[in-house]
Order: sequence, then structure tokens, then C-alpha cells
Amino acid sequence: MSKETASFKLKNALTELDSLFKHVERFGKSVGLPKKQIFQINLALDELFTNIVSYGFTDSNSHWIEFSLSFDNGAVVIRVEDSGIPFDPVAAPTSGSVPPMENCKIGGLGLHIVKKMMDEIAYERKGGKNVIEIKKQVRP
Amino acid sequence: MEIIESKQNEINIFTLHGRLDSNTSPELEKKLVDAMEGGARNMVLDFENLDYISSAGLRIILKTTKDLKRTEGALILCAMQDYVKEVFEIAGFDSFLPIVPTVDEAVSKL
Repeated sequence: MSKETASFKLKNALTELDSLFKHVERFGKSVGLPKKQIFQINLALDELFTNIVSYGFTDSNSHWIEFSLSFDNGAVVIRVEDSGIPFDPVAAPTSGSVPPMENCKIGGLGLHIVKKMMDEIAYERKGGKNVIEIKKQVRP
Repeated sequence: MEIIESKQNEINIFTLHGRLDSNTSPELEKKLVDAMEGGARNMVLDFENLDYISSAGLRIILKTTKDLKRTEGALILCAMQDYVKEVFEIAGFDSFLPIVPTVDEAVSKL
């Protein structure tokens, strides 16, 4: 089975989201993913990227966030690496499926969406970096 | 993201085009807050041409729903694409937010 890969890096700015979507779309189309799965991968990466940009860095310098995507044996595997403060999205609490209507504490909603959209998520802190790996089985 | 505002029987209708994410949601939030400050009580968000929503967009919608409740107003969402609707379902937002198929139906409920 052939293995397709793509990698790119983005600056820690929300304006980079458009570029993230273009990269994911190009990769998804090149390996023949249906629109719905491209949407779901976009969304999961958007949530992870937005978290890193919003909370990952305490200085105001520019930092790179690295992505690599691969398609192998019917699954898309994505690795996201950043050099921000240690944060484990696997252990972090999520909002659960029904957010409390009466108070606005719905932090963790983004991670809840990531975990629902993807089949696997793993985290490790390695060489001063947060390394997140997510996997999505591709169902035709 | 493009937002078009219109008014029908004292109901503010916002037609959204494009993507609602953490980069574009402040723009929508500002429009909704401005409308509320201008006295808007009942609102419709038309999602027919909205291609994408993330949790940042959901947050604005939750906040607006609560703000409008306080003034005895309401927010109704309509014409959602399947992918977008699935995000509302995963977040559990479909349990307390009215989502209807068309703008006309939304307007008739307010």
C-alpha cells in the first residue's frame, strides 16, 4: 500500500487558520478523502491549533507549529508539534457532551470535539515539545 | 467571512457566508453585541451559506442565547448544512438551541 505524506508549519497566529485549511484540503483531496472527513480533520486541527495559539506561549514572539499528515492503510495520522508550555490534551478535562446552560464555563469544548471527531489521540512531551498524534480511520 | 444583516418584523436576521472559526468569530460577536445594544431582542442566524463552524463559533452562539434570555428575547438558528449540524450535535447544543430548516420558519416562531 502506498503511503502519502504532507508536512508544513504555521506561525502561532489565528490568521494562519486559512492556510491550515488549505493544506488539509489539498492533502485530503490528494488521497481521495470525502468532503465530510476533510471537514472533520480540519475541525480537529483547528481546535488543537487554536488552543496552542491561545494558551501555548507566554511571550509575544513568533513561534512555529509543525504539522505532518500521512495516509496509510486506510487511516489518516496527524502529528502536531509545538514548543509551547507543556499541555496534555489527552489528560485535560473536556466539557462533556452537554455544556451547562446556566454558567459560561465551557472551556474544553474544543477538545471534546477533537476526541469525538477522531478515533485516537496520544500525547507526549519530547525534547521540549508537545507532540500530539491523532488518528482517523477513513470510512468510505 | 461575510455577514449580512436585515430586519423583518422587528426580528434581526444575520446571514452568514464562509467560515466561523476563532479568527472570524470576533467579527460576528461584535455584530451581535451591537445589535443587542441597539435594542434587538429576537434574532435569527441563517446558516445556509456557512461552510464551517468551530467551538469558537459555538461559544458566541451560547453567549448570545444567554444574553437574549436575560432580556426575554430569543435566538433561532436555521438552514444548517449537515456537517455544521453535526458539530452542534457533538457539542450537545442541539438540546437547548432551536434549529429549524428555513428562515421563514424561524421568523414565524419568534
